Amino acid sequence: MASSVEIGPATRRRWARPWMVPLLLAVATSGWLLAVEGRQGLARDEAQYFRAGERYWGWFEALGEAVRAGRPGSAFSRATVDTYWGDNHEHPPLMKTLYGLSWRLFHRCDCAGPKRGLHPIAVHGKHRTLPLFSRESTAFRFPAILLAGFGVALVYGFARRFVGAWAAAGAAVLSVAQPHYFFHAQLSCFDAPIAVLALLVALAYWKSLRSPRWGILCGVFYGFALATKHNAWLIPCFLLVHYLWMRRGDFRCLLPPRVPLAFVSMAALGPIVLFALWPWLWHSPVARTREWMQRHVQHEHYNFEYLGRNWNQPPSPTQTGRWLLRATFPFVSTAFTVPATTLALAAAGAVVLARRRRKNAGSEEPSLVDSEPPEPGARASWLRPGADVDLAPGMFFAVQILGPLGILALPSTPIFGGVKHFLTAMPFLAMVAGVGLAWVARQAASLVHPSRLRRALPAALVVLLCLPAVAETQRSHPDGLGHYNLLAGGFAGGASLGMNRQFWGYSVLPLLPWIEAHRPPSNRVYWHDVLHDAVIMYARDGRLPVGIGDVGVGESLVAQADLGVVILEKHFAVYEYLHWEAYQTTRPAQVYAHEGVPFAVVYQRGAPPPRQEPLPP
Amino acid sequence: MLALVETGNALLAPLHAPADRDWRAAAAEVRAGFQPGDLIVAAPAWADPLLRLHLGDLIPVSVAGRLDDARFGRIWEIAQRGARAPETKNSRATQVSHHGTLTLRLYQRPAARVSFDFVAEWSQAAVSRVAPGGQVSLCSRLPDRFECSGLPAQSVKPELLEIDTTAHLALATPPAGQSTTVVEFDRVPLGRELAVGAGLHNVWLRKAGKGTVSLRVLVEGRELGRIEAGSMSGWTLRKFDTSALAGQSVGVRFEITVDDPNSRTLGFAAEARS
Repeated sequence: MASSVEIGPATRRRWARPWMVPLLLAVATSGWLLAVEGRQGLARDEAQYFRAGERYWGWFEALGEAVRAGRPGSAFSRATVDTYWGDNHEHPPLMKTLYGLSWRLFHRCDCAGPKRGLHPIAVHGKHRTLPLFSRESTAFRFPAILLAGFGVALVYGFARRFVGAWAAAGAAVLSVAQPHYFFHAQLSCFDAPIAVLALLVALAYWKSLRSPRWGILCGVFYGFALATKHNAWLIPCFLLVHYLWMRRGDFRCLLPPRVPLAFVSMAALGPIVLFALWPWLWHSPVARTREWMQRHVQHEHYNFEYLGRNWNQPPSPTQTGRWLLRATFPFVSTAFTVPATTLALAAAGAVVLARRRRKNAGSEEPSLVDSEPPEPGARASWLRPGADVDLAPGMFFAVQILGPLGILALPSTPIFGGVKHFLTAMPFLAMVAGVGLAWVARQAASLVHPSRLRRALPAALVVLLCLPAVAETQRSHPDGLGHYNLLAGGFAGGASLGMNRQFWGYSVLPLLPWIEAHRPPSNRVYWHDVLHDAVIMYARDGRLPVGIGDVGVGESLVAQADLGVVILEKHFAVYEYLHWEAYQTTRPAQVYAHEGVPFAVVYQRGAPPPRQEPLPP
Repeated sequence: MLALVETGNALLAPLHAPADRDWRAAAAEVRAGFQPGDLIVAAPAWADPLLRLHLGDLIPVSVAGRLDDARFGRIWEIAQRGARAPETKNSRATQVSHHGTLTLRLYQRPAARVSFDFVAEWSQAAVSRVAPGGQVSLCSRLPDRFECSGLPAQSVKPELLEIDTTAHLALATPPAGQSTTVVEFDRVPLGRELAVGAGLHNVWLRKAGKGTVSLRVLVEGRELGRIEAGSMSGWTLRKFDTSALAGQSVGVRFEITVDDPNSRTLGFAAEARS
């Protein structure tokens, strides 16, 4: 009798179900994120989205009250809609609405006590909820975390169209095991969600090339993307480049390609879905859509550290060196932030995809699964525009990866900074890494002879090649923004290269217990880049006392406080110096550092010089 | 192989970060050997907040906001990962010790002797505004500043400024539209060189404004040179040779003009050195 446990046919059938692996990947991803999100502080923007999400929920409460009062129309009046949906209207509402809904359903309510006044909407009593989460902020973050899990499952499903199951699973793991992506995936913001929705739209478009049903779904998904973040505006542009490339044969025959259903659907259904989901547009759709678009087209330049310089102004055309330097930012940042093994696999995958198109159909690259060959005798139509041609996956991935990076490299694009602004490229990069993984597995299999070993090889390789990305991601937490890869030298290497360390003021979290313990008698605390909404949420979460002081934002207010936080970004140096002058010391009372790299400091007026330990991450 | 190296690095690299006990041990050695007037620096500079956490009481604001490092004869450098501080680049260490992953070095070298510090002696200056037609209006000397045109916002005063995201204790001088702001010192005991540093204060003002501020340096009415300060020019340090006037007490005049005064505050510091 064999000592090994045989997997029975029934078990094998369960695993073979197409939804089983992606479901497991999604659950594992969301579980990982939920397990660690509490160590990651509240980001500046997400604190505003907490507030807006709760307000948006307030509209649903108002709608319920109006229905009960027999006047449902009053909830749809301009005044009522603007009261709730006017908050944070520079960004569309889909994710914020989900955050508010999740908060309402899943928080553990102690809202009727001293924290009642900390809510942006009236709290009439204790909420009846399903109290899954002890912190309110976790309840807000939950939809983003679930969506991140869904994104990983999508990567698997999409990658399976090109590679085998193990390589696709590897691609899925590599898509989330990126320190910067992982950081954003925990937040109730829009950056990871729009990456997932861009992927969903791309998948629908891809399938629409052979299926009209997906052409219609593509438009619906595009509406969801539009309602998530304005990055969605660019999605059709990238898809169009691929489409024209795929149908380049038409140009050779002097026939313009047909407008495919997916684009018609995106143009027609996308705005309809956006309008339906965004009550703020309902009373002035044209004017407010224009306002929304102008807000982002005419965006100000942020301050951002790159290669030792603080960038906040576009270089003039005469400053060629600076122009070129700035243009390198998204590419250098990608090279320094994505785990090196993932980059190497992506490079291998890119070569495989590039070589693929040079081969004829009879010598297809063996590490690729070609599940969608052109159908013999099929004719293209606007409903099935890719029926008769190769779908050109290499070009598809190229535009999905290089498009978002290229846009950020343009000198006319406002300076944003941060990998988050081209995060939509990362799932596709992971899929190309999955292609590389399949190629590595095939090469390795040719070197291994015992068949049992050969069968185990793909799984072993996936574990081996995903391990560095997982280890780097775990290492980076909770400071994924400041993490740089092996090529850059980690946290310290990134700091020495003068790369951006952080933004959004999230890194104050480890200092909160000390701040609470050393709260000045005057209760005058300067929170710097930690937004008041974040201070409020820390109090609601029980991580700061209710009523903790906040003197407000602005240089002139530093001197009015007796305890001050400074988030260490290059352009924030001025706030440290204001504390030096105001408190007549250069000695911080506390420093939060990760692997020896400082992230945040606290100054205390009149503090004795005690021996303080820098806080571990 | 890359995967193994990267995984190993991810697991081991955090252990190579300096521990608090390393900082404490290095700080204790600095304290034991510290002499008034010593400079303490971190290498790389991003470790500076941790350095100040442990030794900030030995780094007063005036030292942190120094013009440059020339007046410091002894420099303690707490370094990690093989880095060197720019302040110690041309010096040789006379004392080296290791504390975990930190390396403590003491550099000793001849220090520049400062015969006149223009920021410390700011109250000896006369500050005026000269209109394009030559009309001169004197700024009022108050206990903490010179106030021009009766406007507090138009004050010339010593202040810790943020210039190029570094600290500089300098004379903050908001330039006045068409007029020239003149900061003049009588009987300055000159040495072999006059070191002048200048740049624009405050990251937000640098972002908002477009103008270029010009600082003209004159000794006994003769121009030694100019420093042009724009949003991207940073902290510019110029050293003018004054050996021909060494040992003499002469008039030194700084003239500040600007093409567009919106959101501009020039900070400048100077030292006469032998």
